[in-house]
Amino acid sequence: MKNISKLIKRFIGLMMLTSVSILVINFIALAFLVSSQHGNSSPWKMAGQAAECMEKSGQDVYMREDMAETLHSLHVWAVYVDNTTGACIWHSDDLPDTVPLKYTASDIAAFTRGYIDGYPIFTGTGKDGLLLLGYPKDSFWKHLSPSWDYRLIANLPKLLLLVFGLNILAIFFIYMVANTKLLKSLKPISEGILALHTGHPVSLREKGLFSEISANINRASEVLQEQKQLLKKKEMARANWIAGISHDIRTPLSMVMGYAHQLEGSPHLSEEERQRVEVIAKQSQRMKNLINDLNLVSRLEYTMQPVRLRRINLLSAVRQVVADFINLDIHGNHPIHWVTNDDLRSLMIEGDEDLLKRAVSNLIQNSITHNPSGCSVYVSVEKRQQDCTVLVADNGRGVTQEQLDRLNNAPHYMSCEEDTTLQRHGLGLLIVKQIAAVHKGRVLIRHSTYGGLEVRLCLPLLSEDAVG
Amino acid sequence: MYLDFLRKKRILLVDDEQALLDMVSSILVEEGFSHLKTAKTVREALDMAESFQPELAILDVMLPDGNGFDLLRSLRQTADYPILFLTARGEDEDLFRGFGLGADDYVVKPFLPRELIYRIYAILRRGYKEEAPIVHLAGSDIDFDRAEVIKEGEHIPLTAKEHTILSTLYRNAGRIVTLDALCQAVWGDNPYGYENSLMAHIRRIREKIEVSPSKPVSLMTIKGLGYKLILRG
Repeated sequence: MKNISKLIKRFIGLMMLTSVSILVINFIALAFLVSSQHGNSSPWKMAGQAAECMEKSGQDVYMREDMAETLHSLHVWAVYVDNTTGACIWHSDDLPDTVPLKYTASDIAAFTRGYIDGYPIFTGTGKDGLLLLGYPKDSFWKHLSPSWDYRLIANLPKLLLLVFGLNILAIFFIYMVANTKLLKSLKPISEGILALHTGHPVSLREKGLFSEISANINRASEVLQEQKQLLKKKEMARANWIAGISHDIRTPLSMVMGYAHQLEGSPHLSEEERQRVEVIAKQSQRMKNLINDLNLVSRLEYTMQPVRLRRINLLSAVRQVVADFINLDIHGNHPIHWVTNDDLRSLMIEGDEDLLKRAVSNLIQNSITHNPSGCSVYVSVEKRQQDCTVLVADNGRGVTQEQLDRLNNAPHYMSCEEDTTLQRHGLGLLIVKQIAAVHKGRVLIRHSTYGGLEVRLCLPLLSEDAVG
Repeated sequence: MYLDFLRKKRILLVDDEQALLDMVSSILVEEGFSHLKTAKTVREALDMAESFQPELAILDVMLPDGNGFDLLRSLRQTADYPILFLTARGEDEDLFRGFGLGADDYVVKPFLPRELIYRIYAILRRGYKEEAPIVHLAGSDIDFDRAEVIKEGEHIPLTAKEHTILSTLYRNAGRIVTLDALCQAVWGDNPYGYENSLMAHIRRIREKIEVSPSKPVSLMTIKGLGYKLILRG
């Protein structure tokens, strides 16, 4: 779930950035809006200017014509109140009737803060009195008690910071809760996708925010499982088909083989005829090996062959195979030499005895098959520091370097996807490789010091031997 | 001779394919077996078993009216002669392994005639002992019943282990018996670490059966692999 925590980190970063930038944008917008309010139209400023425009000639008090015009056009009425008497000494022509013409000190204190009959009042101080400007109703809103606790104002920067911090915290909390819930519902989906690619069947709850995605993952899993099943069925069918064919060939081949070998010993044949029968016998033997191999290869390939790993003595298994070959060597032109060091008395490994015997006998059979005119085969078992090996070598015709590379590296045509007409060789080596693989070992093919081919089947030691 | 005694055993062949029956019969006849009967179905085989009283049965696994395993069970209900399976299915090896079914051996088709003959002899030798099997070697004779060697008119007794080693070699006469197989025959299931003892026993056997024990001609060493007993003639 590495990705989830990465996702959370990214979410938080994004959220922080968003909240900070929104706050900054708001501040800028507010500042812009408020500053535009402070322009020329500020009523207090207007009242101050208007008060300066009050002129006096003798007993007459009047407002300068241009200012009176301006106020009139703004639908603002004006009253000039005498400083000493509190009486109106001048007023504009459009003064509403409801506005009184005499003011007490408390009246003045009240309307300076507020309204006269709903008209917002702004005052300016002239030479002899106080000028009241009455703006149209509902044009301004006035704060009636514009005073705050001093400490509040003094602590305002700290307070703002605190509020800002609390806001961020609140946003963070809301975001976290919302996201965790989201991620929680994402978790099974991410696990489902993980399971999909490992090939396990997936069944997610198709509920909640991502029900559609879950449903689609479930569908995908079903499709994958179906395909897997189909593939397995196909492989089984192929393996069964191979098993069936090899079964059907066995009985007729028994007869070819049986009669050919019987005829070989017949005294009534001419030398030429005897040689021909010998070919039939030999080739039927080859077919037998091929059929046995084919069946085992397909069973190993599709893991239908049970592998029984036990502690076995590799030395005695190989010895048995060699003895069987010597006992059965009909023609005597493939002498087998046991060249294992006599000091090696037993070599215990973890393995399937039948499969290992099969591998060794395939290697010996390979040497015999590829050298029809005869060769010596040398078999030995070695315990080395890192592994144990069964070595089968011969002094036959061997292979070219190019063929050697191909044997070591190229995939066998059975497991090759391309057209393979160029690289047909027997199944013997493929089986040995497969058997080595189920034992976690490997196969090395080289030129033999005896002159022919050398194949080394390397198998892991028992773990206690490897340590000691 | 002992082999003649074995060749007189009654053998019942069961296979659904006539051609295969013919071929196996001809192999056996050529080898000298003289009492053969064949059957092609389970039904026929059971009838034949009753009338013919075989001493060895060679059965195919797949038969038209049943399988060889069931046939084996039916046959075993009345008699206990050795049974060898001929099978066309490589996978059957799993079933035969350990011969849990009570079969004595099995041969997978296709097979070499020699291999079949060898298996038949091995089974018969295990199952039927001649009254007095005297084995003739180049310089001596072995009387397994009395557990003694007769060399130049002298009777030399064999110990139990020597007897086991010699009879194991004799059952596989002419073939290599590996060190491991011999040790297993003598010392049982965990036969590792007895190679030196085995060599000591072999040396003593040679003193008894060979005319010149340092130059053996009957009990041959196959270096690193095992031993081989060569019969006379």
